Formats: sequence, structure tokens, C-alpha cells
Amino acid sequence: MQTRTGRRMLGLSVAALTAATMLTTATSAAYAQSVDLSKWSPEYVKSIAGTKQFDAAKDCGAVVPNDYTGRVSYWYTGPFEADPQIAHDMDKAFWDAFHAAYPNITTDVQSITYNELLDKFRTALLGNAAPMVIRLQILGGVEFAAKGYLQPLKPEDVGYTAADFWPGALKSVTYEGTSYGLPTNNETMALIWNAKVFKDAGLDPENPPKTWDDVVAYSKQIHEKLGIPGYGLVAKQNAGNTPFRFMPMMWAYGGGALDEASADPSYKTVEINNAGSKAALQAAYQMYAVDKSAPTSALTNTQGENQAPFIAGKLGMMIAHPAEYAKMTDLASKATGADKAVADDVVANMRYGLLPTGPDGKRAVVFGGSNIHVVKPEFVEGGKSDEQAVKALICFWDSPEWSTKLAWVGSNPGNINGFMTDAMKQRLETIKFLDVTTSMLPNGIPFPVIPEAPEIMNIIVPDMMQNALTGAMTVDQAADDAAKKVEAIVAGGGGI
Amino acid sequence: MWNSRTDYLYVAPAIFVMLIVIGYPIYYTIELSFFNTPASLSLADKTFNGLDNYVTILTSPIFWKVTWQTVVWTTLSTFFAFVLGLGAALALNREFAGRGFLRGLLLIPWVVSAVAASYVWKWLYHSDFGVIGALMVQFGLTDHPINFIDNTTTSLYALIVVNVWKEFSFAMIMLMAGLQTVPDSLLRAAQVDGASAWQRFWHVTFPHLAGVSTVTVLLLAVQNFNSFIIPWVMTSGGPAGSSDIWITHIYQIAFGRQRWGVGAAYAVILFIVMMVLGYFYVRALTKGDESRAGA
Repeated sequence: MQTRTGRRMLGLSVAALTAATMLTTATSAAYAQSVDLSKWSPEYVKSIAGTKQFDAAKDCGAVVPNDYTGRVSYWYTGPFEADPQIAHDMDKAFWDAFHAAYPNITTDVQSITYNELLDKFRTALLGNAAPMVIRLQILGGVEFAAKGYLQPLKPEDVGYTAADFWPGALKSVTYEGTSYGLPTNNETMALIWNAKVFKDAGLDPENPPKTWDDVVAYSKQIHEKLGIPGYGLVAKQNAGNTPFRFMPMMWAYGGGALDEASADPSYKTVEINNAGSKAALQAAYQMYAVDKSAPTSALTNTQGENQAPFIAGKLGMMIAHPAEYAKMTDLASKATGADKAVADDVVANMRYGLLPTGPDGKRAVVFGGSNIHVVKPEFVEGGKSDEQAVKALICFWDSPEWSTKLAWVGSNPGNINGFMTDAMKQRLETIKFLDVTTSMLPNGIPFPVIPEAPEIMNIIVPDMMQNALTGAMTVDQAADDAAKKVEAIVAGGGGI
Repeated sequence: MWNSRTDYLYVAPAIFVMLIVIGYPIYYTIELSFFNTPASLSLADKTFNGLDNYVTILTSPIFWKVTWQTVVWTTLSTFFAFVLGLGAALALNREFAGRGFLRGLLLIPWVVSAVAASYVWKWLYHSDFGVIGALMVQFGLTDHPINFIDNTTTSLYALIVVNVWKEFSFAMIMLMAGLQTVPDSLLRAAQVDGASAWQRFWHVTFPHLAGVSTVTVLLLAVQNFNSFIIPWVMTSGGPAGSSDIWITHIYQIAFGRQRWGVGAAYAVILFIVMMVLGYFYVRALTKGDESRAGA
């Protein structure tokens, strides 16, 4: 009797699995290859926006039936007080839509600040009190994948295909050949400059520097003519801001921390002291120590400290997020008196451009964003995870429509089909320079997807810069010293 | 005997709570200090490595550099906070108009949040747009703003100034309380005998402040050894590690680099130093009790 029941259950499972696979394939096929990444440009981004309709409830209903009854717990960094109202509205609209699509799935959701999320998650995992699903910053997940806390998760598990996501983003969730999450949103930075400062310094106000060598020259010219810093270098110790702004330069010159900039990185080759890396460090040294055309305060500055001089018209150019324009507009709106006129003038003269290239024409930028992950049941509070409810949530969150709306303010949809939605069209119409910042995405390179990446990027790279810029070491010595540290870390050791 | 057992019962809940919130973290930190905790392994899979973490720390030139900086930071901060606090306490011990207002004013640095104060000072010192630099240029003292915190030579001392500003009020309060114990009759007698102001201070006032001074200095030293907020917010230990002290270095190793084992070993070393200071602190506190008990 038990055997017969078992066989029947097995048969039903196989049938269900087959049906689910077919549905998944059908759904995936509908999305795959809809966006042609080879044509990517500001014009292409505009041309495909608003050309396709998606129905998240229906599409995800094919992955997990809409009448499914269950429960899912979820941690993420949602909108907080300082975020614009539209971010709050979209967040609320998402949960309303999810509950309408899946009325029988109850949700236990916690919004945790960016700075607290990782530590809280680490602590929860040690106490087996983690949520079923978590969304982390782009490289936050690799540490947990390496430590065995995360469930393998690939696009096909929730009704999508690899073609629905940026290849660089998928790289960021792949650890030792296995996929442990899905990208929810991705963004890249761009070069921002003040056209008036360029003009006053005798530079072409509408054309940014094409190469990083040009940046060094432009920065020097601005400083010599106007007496203000030309390029907003950021080199603070122990700060994520520093590698986000220096690695694009390093990659463009043909360098890297490891071989993360190559097409098929092994993360075993140390490149932080190769000729390209040293050339990038030399360029930074030239601006900071020789020309003195970068802010003296660069060693204690994060990007936040560059905003004030930029809005005051005292900084020529810098690397910043897509949301920087909104931030500058906000700062200008709060300015008063004579400052107000200056700030408004800066906003009117603000320009966005692609990041410069290296001497060989290579353009690169850090691939930023967030990924969604599934925690293994044994580490989840209560020791159980509801697989179907988990899939429903991830499918819904990563749908073209919601992946776009939830990234409204400062990012872009992780699901690239989101670029075809009406929501994307609205964003392009309302967010200035979004077309430029999105067009950097194909140049995106994720940091090395190894658990040691935060130490390499946030500690060793800034240390190397500080050692060189302060003159504590020569450029060569600083790069070689950093290489020794990276080698020790990759080998599983490392000093203090 | 029964009375004694009841006494233990009364304090048992407090001891139990202390064992959990103080005893266990100490035990766990010491245990963790003997393990290797690479970034690729969960803490549950940590591997025993004996004294390797201690050897790594004690044989690193960076540790000795940071140790020297910690000694400079603690010694100078403690000395100047004490001296300024003593000066302020002596000044405020006299009767004059506006004494209450001035006392309140001098307490402000101690009351202000350390994080907020650090940000304010960071902007005051700012190497490009700082108020201090701008004023110096305006008054013709320098051609360019002085680089206080983006300079490996001056960053630690710039932070010490902020730290002294923040905590001299604490020394002032402690010493003002101590000054209340100096008998007026002795001071008057000394004055009648023709003792100068300095002689009255050195031979009458200061001996009465010896006890409270020892406690103040020890508390300041402990506080400075553990002082994290000012260096972290203002420079994060930079530039090029020039303002790193033990506590910021430990934080960076443990939380920035996820090296829990090494970070724990480092914390144990700091703990031992703190225990030595703690011993002297308790001894200073109980000195009077012992002498009274002996009498």
C-alpha cells in the first residue's frame, strides 16, 4: 500500500515537475533575447522603453499558482525617511500588488538599513534565526554562499533565463560555478562635470575628458586656471566609496585587483601590481601629490564630502551615481541667499558622460546593485522554509515591471526586460541623464566574487592608494605591497 | 550560615545576568582567539590554531606601529585633558560673576555626542574648506589652509586635540568635586603664614587632590585606550594608518576584514592591558577604605 502510494506520489511529482518546467520554459522563452545588449546605447535605451507590457501576477502564477497558501519571511533595505516619496510609494505598491496576486501567502518583512543588514544577517545565521529570503548588496551574498548558508538559486528556478539578466550581474551571484541568487537591480556610475567650470578653465564645456590621461590633464588645467580642485578623487581608508571610484580607472588602464576584469576570471591571478594597475595609481598620484589638482581632503573624503564643493561650484568633475543629479537638485532647493544662485547655476551646468577610457580605449565601471538570495532551511527561524512562497516572492520582485519600479530612484531593473516597460519610459522622461548612466551598464565589471573581496577592495586598495598618495611609499612599492597582501589573502592567510 | 546563604541568593540574579552578558562574551572572545576563521568558513567550522593569532599580531611591524600610536594617543590625551581640567577646576573654584554660566559652557564638550562632535571637527579641520584653515589664511598666518588630518605627520595630533577638547570637562568635574574636600582653614592658615598662591596649591591643595587625581587619570587612560568614535569618524585610522590606534585596528580587522580569530586575539591583548589599568583603578579607589579599616 505504502509502495503504491509512494509510486503515485512520485508520478504526480514528476508530472507536476514536467508541467512546471514546461511552463517555466514557456515563460522564460517569452522574455529571452527581447533586449539586444549588443545595440546598447542611450538612444537604444530610449527606443525600447515602453514597447512591451508585462503582467507579473500572470507570469509568476505560471511558476507558483496564485492560489498557493504559504508564508515567506524577507529582509531587505527598503526606503527610509531620507528617501524620496516615490521610493516609498513604489515599495507600498509592490506589497499591495504581491498580496493581490498571492492573497494566501502571508509575508513577514523587515526593512533594515544598508549598514546594519549584513551584521544582523550574520548574527541571525549563527542563531538559526535568519529569514527565508534576503536581498543584499551586490557582493554581500558571496560570503554567505562560501560559508554554506545559501540555497543554490538560478533564473530558471523562478521562471526566468540567464538572458534576462546582465552577464556581469549573474557573475556576481556565481560562486565556484554555482548560482546562489538573482540580481534585482543594477547600476553603474558615470562622470559628472560642471560645464561652467570647464568653460571658465578654457575647456570644452560640452565634452568631457575621453581618457583617464585627459582627466589628469583637465584636472590640472582647472586647478591652475581657477584654483579649485579639478577632479574629486576619493581615497578614504576603510571605505567602499574608494574602490568604487578607483577600480574603473585601474581596469581602464589594464589593471585589476585580481583578474576580475577578464572575460572568464579565475580570481587566482594577482594583478594589483601589473603595469596597468601601477599606471592608474601613478595617474592618481599625479593629480593628488604632483599637480595638487585633487582635493587635499581626498584621503578622508567619501563621495558625500565631494557633494558640497560640487554644488558650490568649487569642484570640476567627479564620478557619481545616477541619483547624483536628484541629490544636487535637492541640495540646490535647500540653499538660500547667494548660495541659492550658485547652486542653481551648478545644477543647470551639470553634465553626465561616460566614464573615460584607458589608453587602449578600454572603458570600465563597477557593476553595482543588489541580489536576492534564498537561505537554507536549517538556518531559517523555525528551521523551515516555504519553497513555493519563496519562489513566488522572488519571481514577483524580479519581474520586469517590479524590478523596474522598485529601482526607480537610484538604480535600474535587474531583469533587463524591465527596460521595455512603461515604467522605464516614465523614468527616462523624469530622471535627467538616466539614459547616460544606463548606457554604462555593458561596461560593468563586478568585484571579485570571492569571500575575501571586501577585504581586498575596502581595505587593501584604499591602503595602497594612501601609501602612494601620502608618499609613505612610492607608487611601485605601494602596488607591490598591496600585491603581497592580496597574494597572502588568496592563499588563505594574511597578516594584520 | 543560613544568613550567609540568603545573602548569596539575593545577589544570585545579578551574578547570573553578569555571567551571561559579561562573562560569556569574554570567554567566547578568548576561545575565538585560538581559532582560524577564514572568510570562506562559517564560525561553526573554525579551525583551532593555538597561539598563531597572537604570534601573527605580535610579530607584525604594523602592530608595533599602532601600539606606539596608541601610547602617544593615550598619554597625550590623558595628560592634557587632566591638566586643562585641573586648570578649569581651579579657576571655577573661585567666586566670580558668571561662574555658573562658565561652568555650564565648559561642560558642553563632554555632553555633546562624540559622533556629532567628530563630524563638526572634521569640517573645522577640512583640508580644503575648513574654518580653521580659512581663518588662518584670512589672518595672513598661512598662504594655504594647513593640512591637519590628511597628513600622516599631523593627523594623530589633530585628533588628540579633539579628544582633549571632548574630555577635559570630565577631569574638571572630578577635580572640582575633589577641591570641595580641601579645608578652607588650612588654606587660610597657609595664607596667614605668607605662602604664595603656588605654595598654597602645591603644599595644601594638590595633596588633597592626590586620590581623586589618580582615579581621574586612570579613568581617562582607560577611556582613551578604548576611544573609538573620534579617530574612526574623523580619519578611519588614516591616512596610511597614521592615526590608527588599537581599538580602531581591532575593529578594522574584525568587522572590516572578517578576521574574527585575529581580531579576538587582539582584543584579548587589549583586555589584559585594561585589566592592569583596572587593577590600579580599584586599588586607588579602595586605598582610603583599607587605611580606614587599618585604623
